[in-house]
Amino acid sequence: MLDQNSNARPWLLLLPVLLFLAVLAAAALAVIRMSVGSNGDEWHSVSLTSYADLATPYYMKSLWLTLRLAFQSTVLAVLLAIPVAIAMARAKSKLARRLLLTGVLLPLLVNLLLQSYGWLIILGPGGVLNNSLLALGIVQRPVQWLYRENGVLLGLIQTAFPLAALPMASALKAISGSYEEAAATMGASRWQILRHVLLPLAMPGILSGALLVFAYNASAFAVPLLLGGRRVSMLAVLVRDQITPLLNWPAASATSVVLMLATLAVMALSQKLVHRSQKMLGNTP
Amino acid sequence: MTSLALPLLRRALPGQLTRLTGVLATVVLILAAMPIITMIIMSFGASDTLAFPPPSYGLQWYRAAWHTFMSPDASDVLSMGQALGTSLMVALATMLIAAAVAIPAAYALNRFDFPGKGLVEQFIALPMVYPLVMLGISLLLVFNYLPLELGIFRLVIAHVILALPFAVKNCSASIAGIGPEFEEAAYLMGARPLRAMFDVVLPLMRPGILAGMLFAFIVSFNEFTVTFFLYDVDTMTLPVWLYSRTVSSLDPTVFSFAVFIVLIDFGLIWLLEKLVGDDGVAL
Repeated sequence: MLDQNSNARPWLLLLPVLLFLAVLAAAALAVIRMSVGSNGDEWHSVSLTSYADLATPYYMKSLWLTLRLAFQSTVLAVLLAIPVAIAMARAKSKLARRLLLTGVLLPLLVNLLLQSYGWLIILGPGGVLNNSLLALGIVQRPVQWLYRENGVLLGLIQTAFPLAALPMASALKAISGSYEEAAATMGASRWQILRHVLLPLAMPGILSGALLVFAYNASAFAVPLLLGGRRVSMLAVLVRDQITPLLNWPAASATSVVLMLATLAVMALSQKLVHRSQKMLGNTP
Repeated sequence: MTSLALPLLRRALPGQLTRLTGVLATVVLILAAMPIITMIIMSFGASDTLAFPPPSYGLQWYRAAWHTFMSPDASDVLSMGQALGTSLMVALATMLIAAAVAIPAAYALNRFDFPGKGLVEQFIALPMVYPLVMLGISLLLVFNYLPLELGIFRLVIAHVILALPFAVKNCSASIAGIGPEFEEAAYLMGARPLRAMFDVVLPLMRPGILAGMLFAFIVSFNEFTVTFFLYDVDTMTLPVWLYSRTVSSLDPTVFSFAVFIVLIDFGLIWLLEKLVGDDGVAL
């Protein structure tokens, strides 16, 4: 480290970034303040009616649906990301690695709206998915995917799985191939190597990816808006509804505060569980 | 070349990629690209319905899209050209500001030890898990409260916040690879800190900086959710413009516009990887 005596310099260099983050913090405080205002006189009154209004079965169902879809999409996205991450970490040829990275980045970076349009075609009653399922004889009649939970779930998995794959790939890349060789010399099968060597070693990367997917999908907006319609109302879509047609700012703010708190609670809880399980593993290596 | 051909012929050794994993990875990635692929195929269709695969192929939607682009309908609030212009301007501004903000931050985080560093690092990563909808409505509240008119900077500020984690991570990754000895050498030869920064550190950091800038550009160019809350008629970006066109019915010219946007994205991502090289993208 250079100059450790000058304490002001790092903060001076961090000032611009902190200014932008201060906007974020101020904005978060504004929402919290707004959520305890009453409709019509937002900045001067204090009331908890917006939160009390959220305690209706309608919102509770939406909160439960949001958390459930976020959780299901996280589990499935992580499972799908495993082969992709291994391929990214172990591919030898430069071209293969570049193609893999492009394939992973496209769903993450290309506009969610456009990808949802693609899903509209795939999931429609005469769409690709139904036609293939019918052709394979898995279903007898076309399944309704659009504006149903399963359709939204597919969209959520597809748009968020890169968030699981990227941290997992960098965690796997850091694991030397000699661990696998050692396990193989001692007679472990490929499945055993994956299950008992690779995945446990890559666990921190897998978990941070899983948390990213969960947070991203709990607040998903574009996908449920286009693929879910009115029938699959995730919380983020409800926030929009309260602003655009209803102009009820306190209710919208309260809903988004609840969304944020629920996400944070789940993330904190899972991190705690992980720490505990790692500690237990650490005692008996 | 042998290294490319051999793994296909013989059983892979432990620590190498097996064929099963390779096939699985390819299948997953093709499935993940399905929405984009479907959209591209649809855009070449020549029927009025949204049936897939299209019964016949042609370029009629491209012609219609070109017509919309060249001579916008009076019914549109804004032409596609204007929306594209706004999008590019916002993305460019986001890219430059994000770089200007992220470079000093990455330098401070890598070259100094100070109390509160871990906290600052976590704070910078916060926008990645901050609900987008909450970001949209909270910034809307703050901007509406401000007495001054921000214009497109409403969007730029939001996009810079969203791009910060990517920009700082990529700059940090490149600066972590440069030992402090380069600067020390420059100091020994009498360079002032600022000169050492501009003539030694920044040129060495270039790949990371460019990757961070490109990331910021791509994030901004494709952003929909937050922009959806913050836009007004004069500051409509391309994604929001597309949404406003399709809110009542999905017309297939949208697919031609979408292909155009995906091509831009594809080019940008390819360029990004060229810069990032083998280290992968920092996330």
